[in-house]
Amino acid sequence: MQTIIKFIKSIFLIDLLKGMWITLKYTPQPAFTFQYPAERRPTAPRFRGVLRLQTEPGTGAQTCIVCDQCAKACPDDLIALGGHREPGTKIKVLDYFDFNLSRCSFCGLCAEVCPTKPIKALIMSEDYELGSYNRETQILRVDQMYDGVAIEQYTH
Amino acid sequence: MGLIEHKFEDNFITTNIDRVLNWARESSIWPMGFGLACCAIEMMAASASRYDIARFGAEVFRASPRQSDLMIVAGTVTKKMAPVLRRLYDQMPDPKWVISMGSCSNAGGPFPTYSVLQGVDKVVPVDVYVSGCPPRPEALLYGLMRLQDKIRKEGTVLRKERVIMSGDTEPTLVGERA
Repeated sequence: MQTIIKFIKSIFLIDLLKGMWITLKYTPQPAFTFQYPAERRPTAPRFRGVLRLQTEPGTGAQTCIVCDQCAKACPDDLIALGGHREPGTKIKVLDYFDFNLSRCSFCGLCAEVCPTKPIKALIMSEDYELGSYNRETQILRVDQMYDGVAIEQYTH
Repeated sequence: MGLIEHKFEDNFITTNIDRVLNWARESSIWPMGFGLACCAIEMMAASASRYDIARFGAEVFRASPRQSDLMIVAGTVTKKMAPVLRRLYDQMPDPKWVISMGSCSNAGGPFPTYSVLQGVDKVVPVDVYVSGCPPRPEALLYGLMRLQDKIRKEGTVLRKERVIMSGDTEPTLVGERA
């Protein structure tokens, strides 16, 4: 009995038609693909991209107080920053902020310990387009930390 | 171009050979299926239908290094794996490219230990480093587009070698055309 059913199934190509029916069901549906360089998917609210230093929104003044907490919090010692104190003022001026991107595991501990309020000086931005040709450019300097890494636009 | 215009019959296009060969190379980069760690999951996601690396002509993940042009080093390279990786790279036919994907293969990542290779560029010449832990599939596609941009500038017939200069840790393309 089993062999007869199997024979009839193979004669009328039942399994093939079943498979083709599933393909046909998916065919009229719209395409599932993100056209990435043309269309950028919004990231999740707590997405952790590359580090970014923030300035005060209105004035553009420096918010980082050079407290060195992010450098201490980093598990891989990737952040090195320093500043100097102007004579007669209390606030420290940020001189350099070197961030070695190549080892970074984007854990977000540095941004979490940043104590400045109400605007956090160090945040995890939404940029993830990071492709470089050598390892020197993976060490981000202070201007790249403020402006973000330059992104090539490949949309023709 | 202008000199030989209208001298042939129709359906002729004049171009230079670098442009044609580089166009062919950049639009069919076949990667090798070489996943080492968690970055390989994102590499698979990039090749699936949501991100669809086939839009860049790089969808054919070959199982053999002899059929592939691109090695995506996706994951932590241990020192035990490093000779295998070098052998696979040597088995790939020229022209060949390497994308280092993720922090682990870029510089060792969070493993500064005795057993992990501190950057895959100590073993093979890397063309594009994609940062991230792991990089999103979009970031890998961005790295692939950066690689295509690099291939577009390479010389084909007069092939320039990538060498590691003395006192330098990075492989450079000797006499790269602008």
